[in-house]
Amino acid sequence: YSFGTAMELGECTRNPGYQEADREADRAADITTTNGPEESRDSTGVCLDSDAVEYTQIKPFAGMPKEVLLLYSSQARYRVPREILFWLTVACTLALVALSITVIALSPRCLSWWQVSPVYQVYLRSFKDSDGDGVGDLQGLQEQLHHFQYLNIKSVWITPFYRSPMRDFGYDVEDFKAIDPLFGTMHNFEELLAEMHSKGLKLIMDFIPNHTSDKHRWFNLSRTRDEHYKDYYVWADCNATAPKPNNWVSVFGNSSWTYDEVRGQCYLHQFLKEQPDLNFRNPHVRKEMIDILHFWLGKGVDGFRMDAVKHLLEATHLRDEPQVDPNKPPDSVTSEWDLHHDYTTSQLGLHDLLREWRAEMDKFSREPGRYRFMVTESYDYHEVDKTMMYYGTTLVKESDFPFNFYLLDLPQNTSGLWVQHLVHLWMSNMPRGQWPNWVVGNHDKPRITSSAGRRYIHVINMLLLTLQGTATTYYGEEIGMENINVTQSQIQDPAGKYNASASRDPQRSPMQWSGDMNAGFNNKTNITWLPVHPDYSRVNVEAQKKEEGSLLAQYRFLNTLRQSELPLQRGWFCFVHADINVFSYLRELDGLDRAFLIVLNFGKESAVTDLSTVSELPDQLMVLMSTDRENDGKVLHKSRILTAAGEGLVIQYSTYTRFNPSHPMQCYVSEKACYLAAIDILYKC
Amino acid sequence: MAEDNMRNRKEPENGRFNHGMDSQITQEKPVKATMLQKDVGLVSGVSLIVGTMIGSGIFISPKAVLLYSGAVGPCLLVWTGCGVLSTLGALCYAELGTMITKSGGEYPYLLEAFGSIVAYLYSWTTVMVLKPSSFAIISLSFAEYASAPFYPGCTPPAVVIKCLSAAAIWLIVIVNCFSVKLANYVQNFFTAAKLFIILVIVGAGIVLLAKGNTETLSHAFEGSPPSVGAIGLAFYNGLWAYDGWNQLNFITEELKNPYRNLPLAILIGIPLVSACYVMVNIAYFTVMTTTELLLSPAVAMTFGDRVLYPLSWVVPVFVVFSTFGSANGSCFTAGRLTYVAGREGHMVKILSYISVKYCTPSPALIFNGILSVFYIIPADINTLINYFSFAQWVFYGLTTLALIVMRFTRKELHRPVKVPIVVAGLMVLMSCYLVLAPIIDKPDLEYLYCTIFIFSGLIFYYFFIYCKFSWASNFMRPITMHLQLLMEVVPPEKNE
Repeated sequence: YSFGTAMELGECTRNPGYQEADREADRAADITTTNGPEESRDSTGVCLDSDAVEYTQIKPFAGMPKEVLLLYSSQARYRVPREILFWLTVACTLALVALSITVIALSPRCLSWWQVSPVYQVYLRSFKDSDGDGVGDLQGLQEQLHHFQYLNIKSVWITPFYRSPMRDFGYDVEDFKAIDPLFGTMHNFEELLAEMHSKGLKLIMDFIPNHTSDKHRWFNLSRTRDEHYKDYYVWADCNATAPKPNNWVSVFGNSSWTYDEVRGQCYLHQFLKEQPDLNFRNPHVRKEMIDILHFWLGKGVDGFRMDAVKHLLEATHLRDEPQVDPNKPPDSVTSEWDLHHDYTTSQLGLHDLLREWRAEMDKFSREPGRYRFMVTESYDYHEVDKTMMYYGTTLVKESDFPFNFYLLDLPQNTSGLWVQHLVHLWMSNMPRGQWPNWVVGNHDKPRITSSAGRRYIHVINMLLLTLQGTATTYYGEEIGMENINVTQSQIQDPAGKYNASASRDPQRSPMQWSGDMNAGFNNKTNITWLPVHPDYSRVNVEAQKKEEGSLLAQYRFLNTLRQSELPLQRGWFCFVHADINVFSYLRELDGLDRAFLIVLNFGKESAVTDLSTVSELPDQLMVLMSTDRENDGKVLHKSRILTAAGEGLVIQYSTYTRFNPSHPMQCYVSEKACYLAAIDILYKC
Repeated sequence: MAEDNMRNRKEPENGRFNHGMDSQITQEKPVKATMLQKDVGLVSGVSLIVGTMIGSGIFISPKAVLLYSGAVGPCLLVWTGCGVLSTLGALCYAELGTMITKSGGEYPYLLEAFGSIVAYLYSWTTVMVLKPSSFAIISLSFAEYASAPFYPGCTPPAVVIKCLSAAAIWLIVIVNCFSVKLANYVQNFFTAAKLFIILVIVGAGIVLLAKGNTETLSHAFEGSPPSVGAIGLAFYNGLWAYDGWNQLNFITEELKNPYRNLPLAILIGIPLVSACYVMVNIAYFTVMTTTELLLSPAVAMTFGDRVLYPLSWVVPVFVVFSTFGSANGSCFTAGRLTYVAGREGHMVKILSYISVKYCTPSPALIFNGILSVFYIIPADINTLINYFSFAQWVFYGLTTLALIVMRFTRKELHRPVKVPIVVAGLMVLMSCYLVLAPIIDKPDLEYLYCTIFIFSGLIFYYFFIYCKFSWASNFMRPITMHLQLLMEVVPPEKNE
């Protein structure tokens, strides 16, 4: 259409019925406004003007020009919908913005990476050997990153790989800013870190502030009384033959003082004599440590596991520690269990150090998606409140969590009540709003599969992955690796050389990847630094990947379930039942009708659990997953939940009544959030 | 026509919300033809080019180029090379734009050189998929960056992102429907914001360079030289960052003095963008190593945190501004293509109509907005749309081919700008490469689906344009009429 033809069609079409006076005025006005430069338009205007006064009506038509359009467009039937539509659009836009802002304002803090995934501990010496020297290394680890992706694990803690004379396998550091050639080069490390980040994995490394190696440059300068370094370590007057400065004993046994001939004084070592304790009362030492933190944070490390923090400071007065048994002759006080460590652990000022480090890490956490995580290691045994101090306060943050070592006691007494007691110990003592975590094994403790018994490993993994909080998985726990037997002559662990029963070698055997040579740990040569467990042909990653219902498959299923189900991730945790055999709890989220009941049999015999008193549970319960594959999908009545010894059940059920409002004393949640199904969001409630 | 006269009317037909517009009309000139006005000057033209080209990519993930080129030196060279190539491409478009002074980007040139079918397929693909989806994606990233600071450590809920992006789309459509001038002011403002943050980053980079943070840059050419294939991939990714250099050709008719301003805006805009890109990259390298840059989830934010703290919040804020500006630019030009295609009868006629009161192609803008809102609804539109991106380069290639073809078929046309034909040839070859490279690299079946979709447009072409079924127009006529009355839009007047 060109405008001209349109006008010709339209102009002067008569409609005698049209006589509205207002219209005429309008039209006249419009035509005046649109007095274009064209002749034809002028004449049209005139024509309309003169005719319209009496009788003209032009019918609207598709492609009508402005003059025709304006005759009709202001009619109520167009004007009203137009205005309604317009304001509707405006209102809609505003509503969308308002909705977004409301959702943002109500959103609870989202879970950080260390809360979403278990922390997997890699004992680097034993994980994967890439160069055939029999000792695991960084490149080997890099080759096996797919294992974490397979298991849906995001956080990997790697035991120390600093340059070290390996008196305590890396916990005696010679240079905090270098990689030990045994494990690779700095380039290998950077590649590993980049590769991990590009796979979405986070790298947590050890930070060992308490001591250095006696080969460290600082120690050599300190023992020669270099002006700057002379107070880097804790020195006390003594001589080679005379008694030690006090009765303090090292964690590995015997006096924690060793005479140094070069300096002619004794230095303190709470661990091996090759691990002199740093003097954290010296501001230079504190600064050096922060420099080291910066160095690794700058490289992009995602978190630190703070080693042996309770030993950081010692009382300056150097008084004798009280004996546990006052009647014991002082000469025979050689073990750490003989003394109350009032002057060598958890000293005043310790938490200030950690807070200072936390603040440094927070500086590096500002970049988006780069939260730096801190976990502390402190065995406080019956003094659980001392451990809880490491959570910091509501005002000053410290570690994200201190390792919860209490589940390590699980093998002492396998029963439902005992496990409930251990879980309750942490949950009831943890400060409000903090995040729990669970450890059943590490490089210092016997493997849980061996100490608790093979039949319980399935149910223990199920416990870890369905409890509230972050689970820690020591390498091999996902396939049920066991302690190895190490003969006296094979002992590698320096602590084991002092005392064979304290050897930590059994839990450090090479990772069992496959049924091949050296369990796939070292494909190149026939050496491994510790012997491979003889059961490797059966217990290995490759075999368990193929086997349905294997421990590995269950680990993977549960971990994936945990990350996809909000109740397991951040919902309520409620104790439901415990008896001699069975420990049972549930996980639920307000506003979500899907919840999980976990029934775990830690006892020595099969049990029938009656949960009919729990009115919030539906009568019929369907087993989502059992550690015994036979029972998957079974429907149970809540009064008769049958579990064999060492069997665990994850039961998914639907309900509209939540357990937690009526049982506040039995329920725990870190940060309360409610689910709104209509728009699939969480909100603070 | 006095304003008070309008107000005195019993039934002010213009409705409540447009007195401002009335007064604007009265102030400027009493008579204004119902057509798209020549409102875009040189500054607006440059800001449209710069504003659309610089989206969020340079701030968030300028990684692919570095990844494939391997080292800092080749990376910077590739960025520069991409700038040169885009300038050459845009110069071809300048020749076409000044030769055929019609809006609608590639559409009128394809129509002139290859005839109706090619032009139709172009408009079909672009109007239905490319333009609305890119508008949708830019809005989605706007929403993501706007909400991300409130969700540290995780992704914002889908509902927030979708609501915010839908709101942004509607807001931009409303602004564009109301006034071309206002849309231009918005564009200029956000482009200025974008250039400001680039200036801040570059400034900080220069300071750091002066301080001696040249560690990464001093090893610029270390490492093995990248393979030819890798260089190709680097260029492929780099050129995407420069996509948008043809923006001005979409609005040729609205340019003041297009013969001067079109080539000039291109010659100012694209080198400006190239300079920005290269300098921003240099600035990044002053505080980040190549690995860090590759791993950073949001490069400019990382830069901001390391350099500008405690003012590091300005970076995310301005990145949000930048994406909003790009979305506005995208909407502005997308409307024009729909409008031109409708005018030529390749889309329903109503889309070529313009608002009586505001002289904006509101039906086209609203149509584009509605499609865009549909595109933000599905969970993951990005993957699907990525497969369509090869079509974009098919059309760029065809357009430069059109330039070569018309050198022979349409010798008589006046060409105020004339590029050497070699340049056009080079652009054609490059387009072929960019179309084929990703397909050969990863021959997915999805490319076939996209091709099928593009050619499925021919079915409509056959029935509605070639055969011109009368029932179709009988069906459309009352709809058009009522929509016209509802939206107060009319066919544009001709002013020649």
